[in-house]
Amino acid sequence: MPDVTVDITVNGVFHRVDVPARTLLVHFLRDQLKLTGTHVGCDTSQCGACTVDLDGVAVKSCTVLAAQAGGHQVTTIEGIAADQGGGLHPVQQAFWRQHGLQCGYCTPGMVMAVRQLLADNPDPTDDEVRHALSGNICRCTGYQNIIAAVMDAAAVLREA
Amino acid sequence: MFPVDFSYARATGLEHALALLREAATAGCEAKVIAGGQSLLPMMKLRLSAPELLIDIAGLDDLRGVDSGAGTTVIGALTTYRDLQRAAGLTTAYPAIGDALAVLADPQVRSRGTVGGCIAHGDPAADLPAVLLALGAVVTITGPAGTRPVALEDFLLGPYATDLAPDELVTAITLPAPATGTAYEKFEQPASHLPLAGVAVTIEVRDGVVTSARVAVTGVASKPFRATRTERSLPGLPPPARGPGGPGSPRGAVAGTPGIAESMAESGLVALSDQHASGPFRVHLAGVLARRALDRAADRAAGPTPGAS
Repeated sequence: MPDVTVDITVNGVFHRVDVPARTLLVHFLRDQLKLTGTHVGCDTSQCGACTVDLDGVAVKSCTVLAAQAGGHQVTTIEGIAADQGGGLHPVQQAFWRQHGLQCGYCTPGMVMAVRQLLADNPDPTDDEVRHALSGNICRCTGYQNIIAAVMDAAAVLREA
Repeated sequence: MFPVDFSYARATGLEHALALLREAATAGCEAKVIAGGQSLLPMMKLRLSAPELLIDIAGLDDLRGVDSGAGTTVIGALTTYRDLQRAAGLTTAYPAIGDALAVLADPQVRSRGTVGGCIAHGDPAADLPAVLLALGAVVTITGPAGTRPVALEDFLLGPYATDLAPDELVTAITLPAPATGTAYEKFEQPASHLPLAGVAVTIEVRDGVVTSARVAVTGVASKPFRATRTERSLPGLPPPARGPGGPGSPRGAVAGTPGIAESMAESGLVALSDQHASGPFRVHLAGVLARRALDRAADRAAGPTPGAS
């Protein structure tokens, strides 16, 4: 089968790469671009660890082909901080402050999903947060501190 | 986990997409159309589906968007669930669509998954087909000979089987003017968010009497279907009583009406049974959900209640 040429902008950097058509976006990001912050959890579109921003909307990169993302803009967890030289995005800072993680495996996906949630709804209720995170699974925290982190981040971003 | 290898072609327009489909059909090549891919890619990763060619139609922007006018509403096939949630006035006019979108998959999947893809995929347990059946949706199919309309209930033939020919595309879904009351209720499998049973209802109420009703069920049989016996039993009845404090039975007059099992027998459908739920349990759930959906639809038909939330 012929490779597909993918023209893609990831975290503001343009790439032109030939990949097999069946390459999933998450594998393209991790294996070709070495952006390993995006995790593979369940690989069945349920856990949300692979969540990235595609043209400004959070999607599950294990259920998008790299070829489909050609011509589009992707932002990964590595690209969300204004200061990409080691600084953190306000949502990441809130996860840190509120201890919104234990093992951290789900965290990049959580942060990307929360970023979308707060863009859509800057002042969510606890219920709305839980509902909006229904596509992200955490097996450590019991979610309580994740919710606290989202409320913290929401307050910070509303004042920003 | 990744799919069996395939070729990938990106359609640049509707004619190009149809030409690619025609070429594949002529060459005997198994082609699948991909839009959001939220149903197709998981199946391909599990190797339940292994097309030789994927035709990507996501760039066909003319097929995206919701157009409400002259009573009917036309939803472009490439409209995502997220687009639907954000389409002005749509979920107000058709509250059952809002009910379904709130409980359908998760936000990331709703951002990619499309209405046309959902219909064309023919999943017997998808949420939206039940709602669209209850609303009386008509599917617009485009092929080499032009477009043809097909009622959704004639379009859905069985598990992953539809009336779509190999050289045709779903291009739009048309909804008639909204009924006075609509609602959708589901009981979900918690990991997949798919309904073990889901029921959508539309009812017309005039002068305190149900004049017509459509009841559609998903997740229970080999395809989403209309509960015809239940539908026929409703006209002439008073609508379900409002709330637990209302007159009569809190679940209203529908409690004793012919149910889902009778409707399935009439249509020759058999209940699905798997590791998640037995057939009889699914049918039972559908009956309970039908009553809840009828209650909610009747409430909506009656308009806002003073003091109620």
